[in-house]
Amino acid sequence: MNPELIRNLHDLLPQIQGYIYPNEIEIHWGLLIVVYPYITGVVAGAFILASLVKVFNVTEVQPLYRLSLLTALAYLLVAPMALVSHLGHPGRFYEILLTPNTSSAMAMFGFVYAWYLMGVLLLEIWFVHRTDMIEWAEHETGVMRFIHRTLALYSRDTGEVAVSFDHKALKVITIVGIPSAFLLHGYVGFIFGSIKANPWWSSVLIPIVFLFSAIVSGIALVILLYMILTPLTGGKISMRCVDKAVDFLFYAVIVDFSLELVDFIHRVYQSEEEIKILSEMVMSKLFASLIIIQVLLGMLVPLLLISLTKIFKKRFHLNEDLRKMVYFVAVILIQFGIFATRWNVVIGGQMFSKSFRGLTTYKMEFGGLEGLLYAIFLLALPIIILAVLTKILPPWKEMHGQPASESAEAAGS
Amino acid sequence: MGKLFEKFPDPLARLIVVFLAFLVVGVIVVAVVIPKQMMDVSAQWADAVKREEARPIKYAGFHVCAECHDKIYETKKNGYHRDLSCETCHGPAKAHTDDPDKVKPVIPAERTFCPQCHAYNPSRPRGFPQINPVAHNPLKPCASCHNPHDPKPPTTPKECSACHGAIARMKAVSHHVQLACTTCHEVPQRHKVSPWSVKPTKPQTREFCGKCHAKDGKDKMAKDAPKIDLAEHGEKYVCWQCHYPHSPEVEQ
Ligand code: HEC
Ligand code: HEC
Ligand code: HEC
Ligand code: HEC
Ligand code: HEC
Ligand code: HEC
Ligand code: HEC
Ligand code: HEC
Repeated sequence: MNPELIRNLHDLLPQIQGYIYPNEIEIHWGLLIVVYPYITGVVAGAFILASLVKVFNVTEVQPLYRLSLLTALAYLLVAPMALVSHLGHPGRFYEILLTPNTSSAMAMFGFVYAWYLMGVLLLEIWFVHRTDMIEWAEHETGVMRFIHRTLALYSRDTGEVAVSFDHKALKVITIVGIPSAFLLHGYVGFIFGSIKANPWWSSVLIPIVFLFSAIVSGIALVILLYMILTPLTGGKISMRCVDKAVDFLFYAVIVDFSLELVDFIHRVYQSEEEIKILSEMVMSKLFASLIIIQVLLGMLVPLLLISLTKIFKKRFHLNEDLRKMVYFVAVILIQFGIFATRWNVVIGGQMFSKSFRGLTTYKMEFGGLEGLLYAIFLLALPIIILAVLTKILPPWKEMHGQPASESAEAAGS
Repeated sequence: MGKLFEKFPDPLARLIVVFLAFLVVGVIVVAVVIPKQMMDVSAQWADAVKREEARPIKYAGFHVCAECHDKIYETKKNGYHRDLSCETCHGPAKAHTDDPDKVKPVIPAERTFCPQCHAYNPSRPRGFPQINPVAHNPLKPCASCHNPHDPKPPTTPKECSACHGAIARMKAVSHHVQLACTTCHEVPQRHKVSPWSVKPTKPQTREFCGKCHAKDGKDKMAKDAPKIDLAEHGEKYVCWQCHYPHSPEVEQ
């Protein structure tokens, strides 16, 4: 055997508890596979937030509309990078698109992804910004002019027919987009939920739990970005908007929490043969990440914080800064909580032996393609991409509460 | 192209152009760029089938053996080893079936062979016949007492240790060493023959251990047993939630 592998195993062996099959000692789906559902979750959640404006006409959150679309795009571009980097031969990833295998859910991901990127997100962003890009290009020179021209596909038509078509198209795309966003993230849950051999994953509830945690993380992230970026770009945070968005966040967290609770109770009540080893795992290896971070800090504390602002309405309404502080802390905690959720699903599912008699340990690498550094890079990359995107398609005006353009105004009302 | 732009709203027309461009590129990639072999699964299979067919056949399967070794075949069929194929023990025997006089299969006569399946190992299911190869009738080959084609424990085992080796070994060095298994378990005779369908009893109550360990314990061994206050000690839990009965330890 190769000496490096043996050295790795050697570090792990003392940490194994009980009996475990030899091929379970090392955890193969590591940090990258944790990052991946976290990132797609943000995509789906941000898009759902955007559709609140377009489909459900929640005008209060209009300032978040473009920001959430751009956030969704930035994260969507990074999502497959985590998967591709995890392949043994990253250079061959395109082959799953060239030779489709319809009986493999994993192989079909390329198509779900491509549909969502090209059929939904890019189209929606294009229609939202088309007239703006035409307008911007008129006052610009050089590279920016070229970029906006090209992105607008050299369209110059801002006439009645074209603009009203934009609006109609937007409606349709968002309506198609919601099930697509559900599909994108529900699919990620499906992949885990359909693994019969793994009792930690195998559950019909998993896709739905994934979906709601996705909505939670996406909305929370967009609120966080809004609260940071608006003051930075010289605007004033609209509390009307944040209050409303936090409302939705609150409901989403409650649904998410209840679903996870149902799943938990169901498992405990069923008490199948694996329950012993799973509860041992939860109480030892996953205690910090599941009980403390995911449930306590990531759900109960934010729920409590937000409930406080609702219960002591008067108090908090007088003091906007206090309310901002509370929201800010809540959305940050939620991010960590959802990341921990992904961790617990992915890593937890590989930590117990299928013999149900032992537990192994995850040894995280630092450098390398599977390591901590690269994962941090992947988590930071969407922010960098978002910075570039906001240079090209600035959402500031809308975030500052001014009508970004007539089209957005008309569409939002 | 001009017509297209008149017929549809401007944005739609442009998207249609982009979409068509993608489609054309896609079709070109699929139809021209990708090598045909890559898409053609049957070609890959054909190679794999050829490769597999070219391998020499080494195993004959156990039904073939019946032709000439019918007696052994019949014996094995009803014994404990019925689920084992002949070639599990005798190795690949295709060559032997083709020419029995020239090629003889191996006969696994050494003592190291059977323990591959029968040596004690905690991951084996409870009740699987297991022995400690060092201690179990050493120096003689296994086949001198067990017929490999129809193995039975030569007699119904008298000792519980034949099947519950781990527990027996543990108890043997514990404080309960003087207690027979049957002090605490009522074992029907049939349990030793068909252990899965006839099961012994297990103690159910705190009072059971109290027979010896309570202050007023009446059992004849009670005088040697350390005493506890049955009403107080361990509260409402049964004793074996804290003390493993086969190796009771007390942490001071
Ligand atoms: C065509 C008839 C035939 C078939 C089929 C056959 N054998 Fe044999 N086998 C023989 C003969 C003949 C001998 C030699 C007997 C002797 O030497 O006394 C023999 C001997 C053996 C021996 C003893 C070897 C030794 O060194 O004494 C073994 C073990 C054996 N066979 C196993 C098998 C197994 C396992 C199969 C099925 C895969 C099998 N045979 C199928 C005819 C056959
Ligand atoms: C559990 C392992 C095992 C299996 C299964 C097994 N054998 Fe054997 N076989 C042995 C051993 C061990 C001996 C040597 C016995 C001895 O030394 O007395 C042996 C001896 C033999 C011999 C030669 C001695 C004799 O008793 O005639 C033949 C022939 C033979 N086996 C055939 C078969 C055939 C045919 C089958 C399948 C029906 C089979 N064996 C299945 C272990 C096995
Ligand atoms: C490939 C694994 C394997 C090998 C090798 C093997 N056995 Fe077994 N043995 C079994 C299985 C399976 C059983 C049936 C257990 C059951 O019915 O629960 C069994 C049952 C037995 C039993 C019956 C015990 C009981 O009380 O149920 C004896 C005795 C035995 N084997 C002896 C031997 C001897 C001697 C050898 C070497 C010649 C041998 N075995 C080789 C798998 C094996
Ligand atoms: C032939 C092998 C064999 C012998 C001999 C044997 N047992 Fe067992 N025993 C078993 C097996 C197999 C089981 C597992 C049944 C199960 O798990 O359901 C078992 C289970 C038990 C259990 C647990 C029953 C339960 O409900 O969990 C007890 C207690 C027990 N045996 C006691 C004894 C005692 C005491 C003796 C000696 C007097 C003895 N056995 C002799 C094979 C044996
Ligand atoms: C001297 C004769 C002798 C030899 C040699 C011998 N055994 Fe046994 N074996 C017995 C007897 C007697 C029993 C009945 C159980 C007991 O009292 O230990 C037995 C029982 C067994 C059992 C059944 C235990 C159970 O739980 O049902 C297995 C399995 C077994 N032997 C395997 C082996 C193997 C493997 C070897 C070779 C390494 C071997 N025996 C060598 C006499 C022998
Ligand atoms: C001091 C009383 C006592 C003695 C002596 C004793 N047992 Fe037990 N045994 C128990 C109790 C109590 C349980 C139930 C433990 C539980 O339910 O967790 C038990 C459970 C078992 C079981 C079920 C499996 C397990 O580990 O829980 C087996 C098998 C068993 N005993 C076998 C034996 C054998 C064989 C002996 C003799 C070598 C023996 N016992 C001697 C009290 C005793
Ligand atoms: C038939 C009488 C008897 C029964 C029944 C009995 N024990 Fe004991 N037990 C003893 C004796 C005798 C000793 C002391 C042995 C020695 O001197 O080390 C003892 C010792 C102990 C000890 C003390 C070990 C130490 O480190 O001092 C514990 C704990 C214990 N038994 C638990 C239990 C439990 C639990 C049960 C019920 C499942 C039980 N016993 C049933 C006779 C009994
Ligand atoms: C909640 C856990 C627990 C339960 C239940 C429990 N014990 Fe204990 N037992 C202990 C501990 C801890 C000690 C050692 C400290 C002490 O002496 O109190 C001990 C000590 C003992 C001793 C040794 C006393 C001595 O003086 O050496 C005996 C005998 C004993 N227990 C028997 C029993 C019996 C019989 C039962 C059931 C009626 C039982 N225990 C239930 C925890 C427990």
